[in-house]
Amino acid sequence: MDILVLVKQVPDTEAIIRAQSDTELDIENKYSLNFFDEFAVEEALRIKEKLGSGKVAVITLGSKKAVDALRRGIAMGADEAFQIEDPALEEIDGYATAKTLAKFIESQGYDVILCGKQAIDDDSGAVGPALAQFLGIPYLTSIVELKIAADKKEARAAREIEGGTEIITCPLPALFTAQKGLNEPRIPQVAGVMKAMKAQIQKFDLKALGLSPEDIRPKTKILKFYPPGKRPPVKMIEEEFPKNVEVLVKILREQEKAI
Amino acid sequence: MAGIWIFVEQRDGAIRKVSMELLSGGKELASTLGEDMAAVLLGYQVGPMAEKLAKCADRVYVIDDPLFQYYSADSYGESLANMVHTYDPSVLLGGSTFMGRDLFPWLASRLATGYAADCTDITIGDDKGIIAKRPMYGGKVLADVVFPQARPQMATVRSNVFPLKSLEEAARGEIIHIEPKEDSSTIRTKVERAEKKATGKVDLTEADIVVAAGRGIKGPENFHIIEELAEVLNATVGTTRAVVDNQWRDHNDQIGKSGKIISPKLYMAFGISGAIHHTMGIDTSKVIVAVDKKPNALIFDYADYGIVGDLFQIVPALTAEFKKALSE
Ligand SMILES: Cc1cc2nc3c(=O)[nH]c(=O)nc-3n(C[C@@H](O)[C@H](O)[C@H](O)COP(=O)(O)OP(=O)(O)OC[C@H]3O[C@@H](n4cnc5c(N)ncnc54)[C@H](O)[C@@H]3O)c2cc1C
Ligand SMILES: Cc1cc2nc3c(=O)[nH]c(=O)nc-3n(C[C@H](O)[C@H](O)[C@H](O)COP(=O)(O)OP(=O)(O)OC[C@H]3O[C@@H](n4cnc5c(N)ncnc54)[C@H](O)[C@@H]3O)c2cc1C
Repeated sequence: MDILVLVKQVPDTEAIIRAQSDTELDIENKYSLNFFDEFAVEEALRIKEKLGSGKVAVITLGSKKAVDALRRGIAMGADEAFQIEDPALEEIDGYATAKTLAKFIESQGYDVILCGKQAIDDDSGAVGPALAQFLGIPYLTSIVELKIAADKKEARAAREIEGGTEIITCPLPALFTAQKGLNEPRIPQVAGVMKAMKAQIQKFDLKALGLSPEDIRPKTKILKFYPPGKRPPVKMIEEEFPKNVEVLVKILREQEKAI
Repeated sequence: MAGIWIFVEQRDGAIRKVSMELLSGGKELASTLGEDMAAVLLGYQVGPMAEKLAKCADRVYVIDDPLFQYYSADSYGESLANMVHTYDPSVLLGGSTFMGRDLFPWLASRLATGYAADCTDITIGDDKGIIAKRPMYGGKVLADVVFPQARPQMATVRSNVFPLKSLEEAARGEIIHIEPKEDSSTIRTKVERAEKKATGKVDLTEADIVVAAGRGIKGPENFHIIEELAEVLNATVGTTRAVVDNQWRDHNDQIGKSGKIISPKLYMAFGISGAIHHTMGIDTSKVIVAVDKKPNALIFDYADYGIVGDLFQIVPALTAEFKKALSE
């Protein structure tokens, strides 16, 4: 069983991020593997371990820092790492990201593709479904459970939808996007980290993939970045109990008309 | 090419609230553009809902077929792609729901067009294109996204972005029935079973009022005081990851980065410290109330109103006070 996992290095949830100008962000230098991608890597490793055979490859599209996502994947236990890097890929959208990844993946054998539910920087959750579309394979998003049938031809997954859970089956090859709850990602061991430092990373650029900049022209454009509106400062209700409760209820009803 | 399309979601014979909100907002966008608004409804035995939609929209495109009882991109997506090719709308909006966020990116790539996810506003720019406002980096930055060329312009929009308006008019929109091209062999993902939560409450993402407790609640046995408050306010109960990790509540109830993004009219947080991962999920709530025993709890930085105190004292008193006020 060959499993491909898409990984992205993103600013940590705690990193300070500010709009520096309409088109530029000032991002604190604190990066980590996308939160949801850890579940994807872990699930791939568990499938391989359970079947007792197969190969797990991690793939990223990105420059410099992106390599750290691959190294984290290797440290956790992935067998191979691929990086797609090209100056023309600096500012592309989910459409172009998926199209480029699809072009690369077409040349690889695979049974299962795993990725995160969304990248926590852009929060789009677009790459997984779009990639499945380009590859013409079925996909299930936001899964919290995945079982591969013994004949390796079918998968059964559970996902949370509003107000319930669905159990769904689909034939392989297929793509799945990982939601929290799928598993508990392992912490890399020292040996894994050592292996990751030495790991060979295979690189591809647009030309190697047979794509031109025209093929990956984004379909959307960010007109401008700006900070979220500041909430007005908090009004502390200082009265003693139980007067404070009465005051709060009065404000919510009469002033805010929230109830 | 013209027209604003709203992808309407229905469940158990009712149109979802976020879809009605989008129809309300879509109508205004359409009139600004001088275009029509159409509703698109896919499902099985959806006739009565199509009738209702015909009172709100200029046109209603309907697929009513047993194969469409459950959602799959193989059925919904392929059919929508065909419909878009045939009728050529300029804008396609849907709710930022589970289904919307599964379907739209697939469909956008199939149509080779752009997609903006999880938007908190949609406006019209000088060039008559839409401007989709969306939070990025968990809400630390907002971005205005535009669609330079490709059509339709596709976006999913959060709940409570457009106010609900009463749309029903005597003038009837036309209902257009579409025959799906799919048959059961082309639908690869099959829903084996759907387990419904028995709460009967609206989902966190759609609720007008959310009341939540964090680790300050001390244990699952105490959640009844939150449930009781929710009952009086007809609110949905939420919680933090710390509580979910302790298995006091289901992950379905988690608000935040790795849970649900909510945007209710009122959010009340009890015994929640206000970690960034949590507050990322409540950013677009209209009014936020926080109760915590620590005066310096971070949550007060995000709240509109705060009370420093013991939740075990305050929650039951609030329940009683609201009950009294609402019965007056
Ligand atoms: C300065 C700047 C300008 C930008 N301008 C635009 C713009 O004009 N328009 C626009 O739409 N976007 C723009 N982007 C964002 C764009 O580059 C996104 O990275 C791209 O849209 C990918 O989507 P996502 O991050 O939302 O991934 P999601 O779709 O949220 O990711 C889901 C999953 O897909 C996989 N994945 C995503 N990206 C990668 C990747 N690169 N490599 C490997 N796996 C991946 C991961 O498993 C991830 O969990 C800009 C970004 C920056 C920093
Ligand atoms: C990658 C990542 C993703 C995460 N995603 C999420 C997420 O989606 N959602 C989320 O919520 N968290 C998330 N977290 C966890 C988050 O960082 C916090 O740990 C969590 O939100 C804390 O939960 P809490 O406020 O319930 O608990 P605590 O931080 O322990 O706060 C409890 C609060 O209760 C107060 N208290 C105690 N007793 C009383 C009393 N009797 N009356 C009144 N107040 C009282 C205390 O003063 C304290 O402020 C994530 C973390 C990481 C690293």
